[in-house]
Amino acid sequence: MLFSLAFRNIVKSKGRSIITLLLSTFTTMFFIVYVAFLDGSHHQFIKSSVEIYTGYAHVNLKEYRDDSSYDNLIEDANSIEQILKNDTTIKEYSPRFETYALLSGDEKSVGSMIVGIIPSREGSLSKLPSSLMKGEYLSDDDENVIYIGSELAKRLKVDIGSEIAMVGSSIDYSIAADLFTVKGIFKTGLFEFDSQSAFVNKTYLDTVMLSENIASYFTLNFHDNDQIDKMTANLDASLTLEYEAVNWKTLLSALVQAMLVDSIFNYISISIFFLVIFFVIMIFSYVNIYTRAREIGLLRALGLTSKDIFGMLLVEILILATVSIVVGTIIGASIAYYYELNPIVISGIAETYKEYGVVSDEIPMNFNLFTIAWNALTIFMLNLAAIVYPITKINKLTAMEAMRYV
Amino acid sequence: MKYFISLFLLTLFLQANEAQAIIKKLEKNLRGDYMYSTMSMIVTSKRGKRTVKIESWSEGNDKSFIKILYPKKDKGITFLKIDNQMWQYIPKIERTIKIPPSMMLQSWMGSDFTNDDMVKESSLEEDYDAKLLSKKGNAATLELIPKEDAAVVWGKIIIDVDLKNAVPVKEIFYDDMMQKVRVMTFSKIERHGTHMVPMIMELKPLDSSKKKNSTKIIFDKVNFDAKIDPSYFTKQALKRYSR
Repeated sequence: MLFSLAFRNIVKSKGRSIITLLLSTFTTMFFIVYVAFLDGSHHQFIKSSVEIYTGYAHVNLKEYRDDSSYDNLIEDANSIEQILKNDTTIKEYSPRFETYALLSGDEKSVGSMIVGIIPSREGSLSKLPSSLMKGEYLSDDDENVIYIGSELAKRLKVDIGSEIAMVGSSIDYSIAADLFTVKGIFKTGLFEFDSQSAFVNKTYLDTVMLSENIASYFTLNFHDNDQIDKMTANLDASLTLEYEAVNWKTLLSALVQAMLVDSIFNYISISIFFLVIFFVIMIFSYVNIYTRAREIGLLRALGLTSKDIFGMLLVEILILATVSIVVGTIIGASIAYYYELNPIVISGIAETYKEYGVVSDEIPMNFNLFTIAWNALTIFMLNLAAIVYPITKINKLTAMEAMRYV
Repeated sequence: MKYFISLFLLTLFLQANEAQAIIKKLEKNLRGDYMYSTMSMIVTSKRGKRTVKIESWSEGNDKSFIKILYPKKDKGITFLKIDNQMWQYIPKIERTIKIPPSMMLQSWMGSDFTNDDMVKESSLEEDYDAKLLSKKGNAATLELIPKEDAAVVWGKIIIDVDLKNAVPVKEIFYDDMMQKVRVMTFSKIERHGTHMVPMIMELKPLDSSKKKNSTKIIFDKVNFDAKIDPSYFTKQALKRYSR
């Protein structure tokens, strides 16, 4: 009986029901789309940082991340290479030798990171080859040629074909010095990276740095990067005690933390929006219920208990909330799904925010069923919470008081 | 009461004055107008031990010229320091390179000294306020706090001094958070002309990741008496005296 009463009330007061429906539908849809957009942009930031250079996971000596000096190098890179080769979960891997040295053009000297890489293996591990802006990318038989960041080239005032002197420290701490010709200039869009990085074929750099069979770390990519925590743990277990396998969540922990802080601030701002929505729904329900005070008084006089009234009004809001949330979720999820496949393009955003790691004008949304479910549930609970006060208030009136209520 | 306060202030003043006088004497002894020396620098790290032989010429506090004699791979590399600037010449690539400020805190030749240690002309007497912490016979301990406008990297230096020879025995360096960063010890005091010189200096960083590291400098020859040709302190000297 309560259900039919509630249903009758909904159908009878069409205007009121439509407004309630629209309000909840729009809130649900907006919330789902907003969260999908936020998560999507965060994922995009992290993906850019991981894929440009860092890579999905590293194998290095345990102390290396705290102290990346020559004291903590992989001294037998071949043995690690063998382990990685035999691991079927790994798609691609490559050793890197990172050091800091002084690079000097004709006029200026700049301290920079110099990395020895195996050029042909970086293609599927980083965006180095595809970030080529000018000249050519490195090849595996290159000797004293260098591939440098666009901002670094500007600082050194050099171009393709210019000569750069490098003075650094060999791994035995003697002075390592050589002259390199600029072969290519790259631009990833990460400002810091483009202004402080230069790459040389590892085979050649090893002869200058005396680092044959030595690597700072191996960067690698799994076949299934979605299960990266499990894969990393398995790989870590297959290494000897002095080595560790860590994935991007640890390697880029500062970025992950920054994204988390950003999310918290965004949730704080959205809770203010929720508070407003909550009061709108509550005031609307309050007014609604009180305009029906006489009707409720009549029902009470006819023998309905206050519990029945509570049940009836609750069923009413349950029906409305369920319908609107289902509709809102379908619309919101469809939008999120569509824009995950066809990212929103805001032209110029990469240029404006390049120092924050934005390297693409495309911002895909993140379509995640779990996130959508908790978003929908939040709005549902909000709807229920908003109705509790008006119902309790009206139930405090006696049948006579309610019927006389103007 | 006034009498005690005056006495207390006077004692503090005299102590500061005495500390400043000790530092002055120390600096006068360790620094001549000219100094020529040859030395071996033994760098110990997790990767092993390495010896570098060095020849050095200096004039006063702010000009010095350094040439690497050994190992063979580094032979002929020269460094010139004038005031706060530093250049380096590398024969292999025949280039003179000025070390930019961003590289000043990097290690010098793989040692525990930084490029900044090599060029800094900070004078203990001019850049620090000295306070006498204790004095017993010929041994004194001083605390040096940098003056407000001094361009130094340390928060504090505690220095043990051998008053008889006017040489330091031990220096403990603190960072600006007042954490101990490194310890330098001095030994084997020898007389060279009018100067008493600690012929061995050993620097140990206290960072937990560098427990095995140390840099020992052993002077072979020291000469304060011969005037040094000013041509050493020019950029042309880097290449000319490299051979």
